[in-house]
Amino acid sequence: MKSLTTWRWNAVRGEYEEGDPPPLRGTGEISAIEAFSNGTTLLLGGTGFVGKVLLAMLLDRFPELKHLVVQVRRKKNLSGEERFYSEVLQSPPLRTIVERIGGQDVIRQKVRVVEGDLDQPLCGISLEELQQLKGKVDVVVNLAGVVDFDPPVSESIEPNVYGIQHVIELVKLLGAKLVHVSTAYVAGKKNGRISEDIPIDGYFPFRGEDGDQRRFTVARELNWYEEFIEETRQTRTTNPRPLRERLREGGMSQAEHWGWTNTYTYTKSMGEQLIAQTPGLMYAIVRPAIVESSLRFPFPGWNEGFTTSAPLVLMGGDGVKGWPVQYGPLEIIPVDLVAAGILIVTAAVLCGKNKRVYHLASADENPIMLPRLVAFLGMNSRYKHKHKKSGSRVANVWKAYVETQVITDKSLQSRRARLHRGLDVIHAVLTLGKTLFGPDKVGPYLKRLRDTRRQIRQQEVTLDKFLPFMFHNTFIFETRNIREATRMLTNEDLKRLKWEPETIDWADYWVNIHTKGIEKWIRPMFAASRKMGS
Amino acid sequence: MNKAAFYDLDGTLLSCNLVTTHAYYARNERSLLKSVYQITKVVLSVPLLFGLDLYSRSLFNVFAFRAYRGMHRDRLIGLADDLFEVTLKPSIFPGAEALIHRTRNLGYRNVLVTGTLDFTIRPIALHFGIEEVICNRLEFRNHVATGRVLPPLLAENEKANSIRQYAVQKGIELNDSCAFSDSSADVPMLNTVGYPVATNPTRRLRRIALQNHWPILELRETSSKFPPFLRPAKAL
Repeated sequence: MKSLTTWRWNAVRGEYEEGDPPPLRGTGEISAIEAFSNGTTLLLGGTGFVGKVLLAMLLDRFPELKHLVVQVRRKKNLSGEERFYSEVLQSPPLRTIVERIGGQDVIRQKVRVVEGDLDQPLCGISLEELQQLKGKVDVVVNLAGVVDFDPPVSESIEPNVYGIQHVIELVKLLGAKLVHVSTAYVAGKKNGRISEDIPIDGYFPFRGEDGDQRRFTVARELNWYEEFIEETRQTRTTNPRPLRERLREGGMSQAEHWGWTNTYTYTKSMGEQLIAQTPGLMYAIVRPAIVESSLRFPFPGWNEGFTTSAPLVLMGGDGVKGWPVQYGPLEIIPVDLVAAGILIVTAAVLCGKNKRVYHLASADENPIMLPRLVAFLGMNSRYKHKHKKSGSRVANVWKAYVETQVITDKSLQSRRARLHRGLDVIHAVLTLGKTLFGPDKVGPYLKRLRDTRRQIRQQEVTLDKFLPFMFHNTFIFETRNIREATRMLTNEDLKRLKWEPETIDWADYWVNIHTKGIEKWIRPMFAASRKMGS
Repeated sequence: MNKAAFYDLDGTLLSCNLVTTHAYYARNERSLLKSVYQITKVVLSVPLLFGLDLYSRSLFNVFAFRAYRGMHRDRLIGLADDLFEVTLKPSIFPGAEALIHRTRNLGYRNVLVTGTLDFTIRPIALHFGIEEVICNRLEFRNHVATGRVLPPLLAENEKANSIRQYAVQKGIELNDSCAFSDSSADVPMLNTVGYPVATNPTRRLRRIALQNHWPILELRETSSKFPPFLRPAKAL
């Protein structure tokens, strides 16, 4: 819907302003059009959430693009190339773009697909392909990696640390520059403004805090990892606890030991440190905050996977009322802004005008405060349960009309304890009923209780994973470098690549774009996975 | 040749008004106490608003919008879908969708021109598949409504002015365009186009329509016949 008006919303001041925004003017020190039309980019991880939007944006906004190499991993019976054409190009963010620019034939002229795998040396690209690419690739953009917060440590270290070693080998062999996409949360357990100038090598979040003088090195951490894996395997038969669980806990406790929030940020930081340690490597590290549904491109509300705030939105939609949050911002950034940011940095690297680190985040210019998001979650729950035709009527009324609340961590724990005590009592009563009236009559209720308990436990685990970003710490990632790079673009580039988090109308974005996007794209996947799990 | 169909909303496509919309937000405050206070304010203001509407639509709008003072924009946007489902959707006239469908099929650009507020309009426009909207906006300071409306207040003559401006911007031929409204307050709007249609007209507008030989359309009835210019041409 297009509203015809001369007024535009100033999201930062929270009021309307009259007239057109001042025209964007760049200094022209960086030309993205020239960089992408003359240079060859090798994209690693182009099949993920950010990768697909970036690929779509590059193809859509830069018709001048001549050479792009995309590395795709083989999947079961599909070769990398088959997977690219039948899966990646057919995905919702790319399908319409590919049609618009002239179909797969046009793509074949511009894009070369190479099969590979980051788990393998030189990213698993064949020697024959490497010979052909040598000296021809100008920049490697690496978006690959595992983004789960707390997987078994091996599943995170292999791609995020050893995988980076393979990327560095590849970049050196090709004689290219590197744009590596990491996360802003490598900062770890910190509060307040996070600078882009903090030295990368040897960093750990507790460094210097309370006189912490320890020394962090990736080599020593990898030694710890090898020993830990060996020890865990050796005690496999004697230790009754599942191996995956022990590997998960091992990663989390090692991350927390140094001050990181989880295994993901710990391993991502190590990956960055490997890059920073490599002599002679020309690189830029891009650190997005929490990447969310697209604002506009390829269409509003596109989202994929559970690694964004999607689990929280789904929980809010399911009627969770108490939210432990600080009065601080949630550092979220729409995926299309992230894609534009990465392309701006890539152009800067190609033009030799880049800085080392670029945060891609919103709170520096236009923060969305957590209590506002809690209120949005409540309004979504109200809408959903007021019009819900299935389920318990009493529960629906409760979920529709009881407002969400901002609570403390302590209050969260006492609420959980009360809830579990209540469920224990119901369980005891039903078990007694089963003895008295037989399993046929009471069995179904017991099953429902079990399902409810499982769902509640899942919600608790999910919420706990997000607590470091909502309650324990409040971050504002400084974004000076990306703003500076944007100002260095040409005027024509600025029409194609927009870095403008200050214009995001958060109310409209959260209510009409993000929540609806998650309900459309993520809810069905979530429901299917829950069904499979049960 | 570009032509457009300009639609008023309240009373034309659905039977709702600014008071019922505000009453919804009053009912859905964060706390029960606040809701009771707001609803009382709405009830007490009804006689005054009724009188004002008879006197001047612009004055009516100014007073009706004042009731939003102090409300947070997040809440107005966050509850808009529910407002639509609960209050607006059930009040859509039976013939409204068919009419919009018809004008679209005949090549008109459908445009809503209404005094209703932007956040209320969004789900309605999406429901009807109308992509362009000219409507009112509240003034906000730090996300909180001041109770004032941003100029120009869209009512009476201002609707006609907006249509003329829109026509210039988009290259619309107003003589080939049509407009639909229920109220005599919208006579200036109806006069701007070549094909004005009094839609579910008030007694006063009906009289004006008959004097000017404007077609009269009843969307409250499913069996109402569209005016001749909206009937598809028969094959010879």
